[in-house]
Amino acid sequence: MESMLAHATDLAIALAMIAGSLLMLVAGIGLVRLPDVYCRMHAAGKACTLGVWLLILAPALHFATTEPFLTVRALAAIVFQALTTPGATYLLAHACYVRGYPVHSGTELDELKDTFPSYPQDRFGQE
Amino acid sequence: MSALVAHTADVCMVVLFLSAALCLYRLVIGPGAADRAVAADALITIVVGMICVLSVRWNSGLYFDAVWILTLIGFLGSAAIARYLAQGRIF
Repeated sequence: MESMLAHATDLAIALAMIAGSLLMLVAGIGLVRLPDVYCRMHAAGKACTLGVWLLILAPALHFATTEPFLTVRALAAIVFQALTTPGATYLLAHACYVRGYPVHSGTELDELKDTFPSYPQDRFGQE
Repeated sequence: MSALVAHTADVCMVVLFLSAALCLYRLVIGPGAADRAVAADALITIVVGMICVLSVRWNSGLYFDAVWILTLIGFLGSAAIARYLAQGRIF
C-alpha cells in the first residue's frame, strides 16, 4: 500500500514536470512566432504562469513526506506567482499601449483607440 | 527517488533549455524595449522552473529559496520597466 502511494506520487510528479515544461516550450515558441508585442505578452503571460505552477507543484509533491515545510513554501510560491505575473503583464501592456507600440494589422477590436489618442505626448510634456 | 522521476527531470531540463533559447532569441532581436522586457520576464520564469526541476532531480531543497527571490525580482523588474516606459521615470 505504501509503495503504491509512492508510485502514484512519482507518476504525478513526472506528469506535472512534463506538462509544465511543454507549456514553457509553447510560451517560447509563441514569443518567437507571434507578430506584435501584445500577442507575445499573451503567450508569455498565460503559458508561462500555468507552466511554472505545474513545475513548482513537482517539488511540492516530491518533498511532501520528507520536508513538509518546503511543500508549504512551494504552495506559497504558487500563490505568489499567481499574484505577481498577471500584474506585471498588465502593467507592461498598459505601458506599451500608452507609448504607442504598433498593433498588428490583423487586430479586430481595439477598444482603447478613442481613449488614448494623445496620451503619451501629454504625459511626457509634464515630466 | 525512482528512475521514472529522474529520467523525466532530465528530459524536462532539455525542453526547458530549448524554450530558454527561444526566449533569448527574442531578447536579442526584439524590435522594442517592451519586447525585450517580456522576453526577460519569460526567461526568469523559465529559470524558476529549472530550479524546481533540479531540486527534484538532486533531491535537495537547498536551492528552493531562489524561487522566491527570482519571482520577486522578476515582478519588480517588469513593474519598473513598465513604469519607466509609461511615465519616463521610475520613482
